[in-house]
Amino acid sequence: MQRRTPMIVAAALGGVAIAVLTASRASAEPVTVLYDDQVIEVERTLADPNDLWVVPADLPRVNGFELKPEGACLEELCVPVLQDRDSDMFVTRAGQAWFNVTALARRLEQAYTADHDHRVWSFGEIPVTRTRFLRSAMAPDFELPNRKGELVRLSDFRGKKVLLVTWASW
Amino acid sequence: MKDQNFEIITVAEDTLGEAAAGEWYDAANPTYTALIDTTHRVSSLYNFVNVPSAAWIDEEGRVVRLNEGTYSQVISLGQASFGTDEYRPAVVDWVTNGPDSPYVWSQEQVVRKIRRRTSDEALAEPTFKLGVYFYERDEALARTYWERAQALSPDSWNFHRQDWNLTEGLGGPQYRAKRGALGDKDYYAPLELGVEEPR
Repeated sequence: MQRRTPMIVAAALGGVAIAVLTASRASAEPVTVLYDDQVIEVERTLADPNDLWVVPADLPRVNGFELKPEGACLEELCVPVLQDRDSDMFVTRAGQAWFNVTALARRLEQAYTADHDHRVWSFGEIPVTRTRFLRSAMAPDFELPNRKGELVRLSDFRGKKVLLVTWASW
Repeated sequence: MKDQNFEIITVAEDTLGEAAAGEWYDAANPTYTALIDTTHRVSSLYNFVNVPSAAWIDEEGRVVRLNEGTYSQVISLGQASFGTDEYRPAVVDWVTNGPDSPYVWSQEQVVRKIRRRTSDEALAEPTFKLGVYFYERDEALARTYWERAQALSPDSWNFHRQDWNLTEGLGGPQYRAKRGALGDKDYYAPLELGVEEPR
């Protein structure tokens, strides 16, 4: 009409429309997210059989990202997200913004899978956060309990040499 | 070796946590830092596929050596004293000589040694963790996800052995069959303690 709407938009809408149409109802049904060794309970999601949508306030708990004006950001990494219109990554319903965690995972090539019956979403490592190990051989940090249940971080031992050994009773 | 600014951290890759690893740790009465890892997080992070595996980490947090199959009495855990102790002198050499130790690898060598994952193997990680999540709630469902993770990542002994240990006990028929099927393929990567590798 006014301008010729670029074909890309129309084409993209084909894919986006499915996500947007199915993601139309806010759901009170909580979901469980497994990421970074955490079990995260999320109270509010949009009903969508294929994707996980959360309110931006829940995003940091779910995958460490934070929704900023410039996009979804994790430290210096920012994935641009338009927030004045609906997209496959972001929609507004009844004044409430929703963020598509699984669309971000696909963008970042982060593996995930879900048990839909129990509403549990399980996410793998985010590859871009792994480059310090995979390219520079920096030891990935982690925090695990000792036998008394006290949390111990690998980086607590910075300044010492560490022999890190895995074993198992099996 | 404690006074030489050296720490051994052992990580038990056990879904049952203290219940499974506890008696082994008790028997070993360790003086090192003993951690429990119910989701096999460290194996995920370091791309390990079996135990024991080891990373040598220097004072700045750099990995200077990566090994699968780290058989050594330096990490013997009570009854579970592993194989030979040929590994121990190498560790002592590194603790004493730091970057000048011939056992220390260059950054490039370490990077080359890190096991790369296919996209299926990457998907096996969150799939295995679904199994861990469900294990205490619904054992049959947990097995479904563990078997799926095994199919996605057939080389991961972690994913197979954790499952079989909980369902058929140590060294059961499935374990023996898979181990037997290896033929001349290495169960563990060779230790490569030789120092003649290019540095």
